[in-house]
Amino acid sequence: MAELHVENLTVAYGGSRVLNGVSLHVRPGEFVALLGSSGCGKTTLLRAVSGFVPVDGGRIAIAGRDVTRAPPERRDTAMVFQSYALWPHMTTAQNIGYGLKLRRWPRQRIAERVAEMLRLLKLDGLADRNVTQLSGGQRQRVALGRALAINPDILLLDEPLSNLDARIRLELRHEIRALQQRLGITAVHVTHDREEAMVMADRIVILNAGSIAQIGTPEEIYRRPASAFVASFLGADNVVPLQATRTERTLEIAAGPDHGAVSLPLGNAGAQVELIGSGPVAAHFRTESVRLATAGQAPADALVLRGHITQTAYPGGRWRYGVAVGGTVFLVDDDERRMVGDAVAIVIPPSALHCFPLRREAAGTA
Amino acid sequence: MSAPLPTEAANRPAPLPRSRGGDGAPALPATRVVPDWVWGMLLVMPALAMVALFFLYPLGLSAVSAFQGRDGGWTLANVVKAFELYSLDMAFTLAIVLLSSALVAVLSVAIGGYLTLGENRLAVTLLRWLYRWPLFIPFIVAAQMMRSFLAKNGLMNNLLIGSGVIEPLQAASLLDWRGVVVTFVWKQTPFVALMVAGAMASLDRSTIEAARDLGAGRLRILAEIVVPQIRPTLTVGLILSFVTMLSVMSVPMMINPNSPTMITVDMAYRINAHGDYGVANALGFVSYAMAGLVGWFYLRHGVRQGGAR
Repeated sequence: MAELHVENLTVAYGGSRVLNGVSLHVRPGEFVALLGSSGCGKTTLLRAVSGFVPVDGGRIAIAGRDVTRAPPERRDTAMVFQSYALWPHMTTAQNIGYGLKLRRWPRQRIAERVAEMLRLLKLDGLADRNVTQLSGGQRQRVALGRALAINPDILLLDEPLSNLDARIRLELRHEIRALQQRLGITAVHVTHDREEAMVMADRIVILNAGSIAQIGTPEEIYRRPASAFVASFLGADNVVPLQATRTERTLEIAAGPDHGAVSLPLGNAGAQVELIGSGPVAAHFRTESVRLATAGQAPADALVLRGHITQTAYPGGRWRYGVAVGGTVFLVDDDERRMVGDAVAIVIPPSALHCFPLRREAAGTA
Repeated sequence: MSAPLPTEAANRPAPLPRSRGGDGAPALPATRVVPDWVWGMLLVMPALAMVALFFLYPLGLSAVSAFQGRDGGWTLANVVKAFELYSLDMAFTLAIVLLSSALVAVLSVAIGGYLTLGENRLAVTLLRWLYRWPLFIPFIVAAQMMRSFLAKNGLMNNLLIGSGVIEPLQAASLLDWRGVVVTFVWKQTPFVALMVAGAMASLDRSTIEAARDLGAGRLRILAEIVVPQIRPTLTVGLILSFVTMLSVMSVPMMINPNSPTMITVDMAYRINAHGDYGVANALGFVSYAMAGLVGWFYLRHGVRQGGAR
């Protein structure tokens, strides 16, 4: 169990900056997920921590020891790779025991530790099997066993579940989390899968273009995204531009072509507004946190957008509709069966609204 | 019992009108006068003829004439004579080629390993550029170069004396079995290194990183992670190299013509000095036996590889 300090880390590949002054503190025994789209720098950050990427500026400390310039073999980290990276010329037991062999453990102790790992990872009976004969899920378990066997200061997981099929992925997700909690090991997990990060991590670090966009618990970042980018990334990707004024306790929304004026409460149960004074805002909301009402029957305590249905789908549980409001189509889930062409109102309760000031340059990303 | 009836009824009427309607149609299969396999044979014939004419026939002829006397009768005299006169040279040949192969293995793994695991960009680039040069130099030129490099008053000794490493009196010629080995290794290492470096470059990089991450140093990674994964390629390279070295005459002829020498030199001598094709062919037969042995390894290996994939 060890802590990880990353301070003002800068990494560049051939002149282009991949990480811009990233700072992060992972507490002992904590599970942190680095989440972001491809190219955001999450894997680079992980590889900088493991020592495979040279650092241009900043500092990395593991368990209080500065390892910024140390080669990978001198850092007490263990990585689990997306491609499993098992050695095909070794058996399961040899793969798991290799790190211990490097540490000059006696053969008997290695055998005991390997047996313990096999039990822990439900790989009993596969010790002498060649790893090329194992299934994807089993291979990733072996890779996990290989990393955990040496009891590293920090466990680094580089998209370990991306190559697995959906069912195994869900299963292994929970297993890794349970193991990490049981062993109390500090872990940093890279993923582009939002749900995976939410389910597994104590805290999530959202990266965007080489910088940290937000750090927080899954609930914090879901309920209070710090920026329009984070809101969109976490599923609030329906965006409607509004004219709004923020008062002390309410958000006053002016009437527009497709909606009436409304006054919404602020605070924990109310709307989230990152606006001072008044001006244009981009209001983000999630497909699943709003509902539809038949036109003319909408309640008064919510923002109501008037439109008509252009698309229907049934993903299971609830219906999903494409609703055209003005020139924009929003995706909305609803319990009722409706038809294409129906005039409807999208009812957005205050708690589902995340409003960010709409600046000219932000308009493009929103 | 009633179930099959409708299907039978449905199936039967269909073929009947067809066979009656077109009286000429049933003749169609019979028009294929030439069976498929004949076309196949015709296609493969030119290639097969080339192999038979230029490879199998001379090989068979030489093997057969190793067991024929000057009068044309069957005899073991040539083989007996070859072993009586040249058994030391046979052992010498095998030892030289095996030793050279072993050194080639070590050096090519070292070169491939540095190209794969080396971190000094400049050194890697320089090595990548330099190591292939001997590939483009023929054996006979290499042998001539080594004659002037390894001789008693050659370039190597001059350099060693000039730099004060050895006294002039200590200078010795390396133009004996050592010269042959040096030339073979110098000439064959780039070939095997080329294959080995290619195989190493195509390895899954993360298998190397995983070992480093667990704390393995570079030498250990080379020995325990990289080489075991490219062993099939290394084996193939060494076998091809073994067979090539076995068949080279210019190098032993120019560097080490005195006894014991390699059997290629003996074969040339038997033919040029005595017109003795019988013993020369018997020596050739021994050469095939050595090459055949490693060829057998190669095939066995190749088949196993093919099976694994």
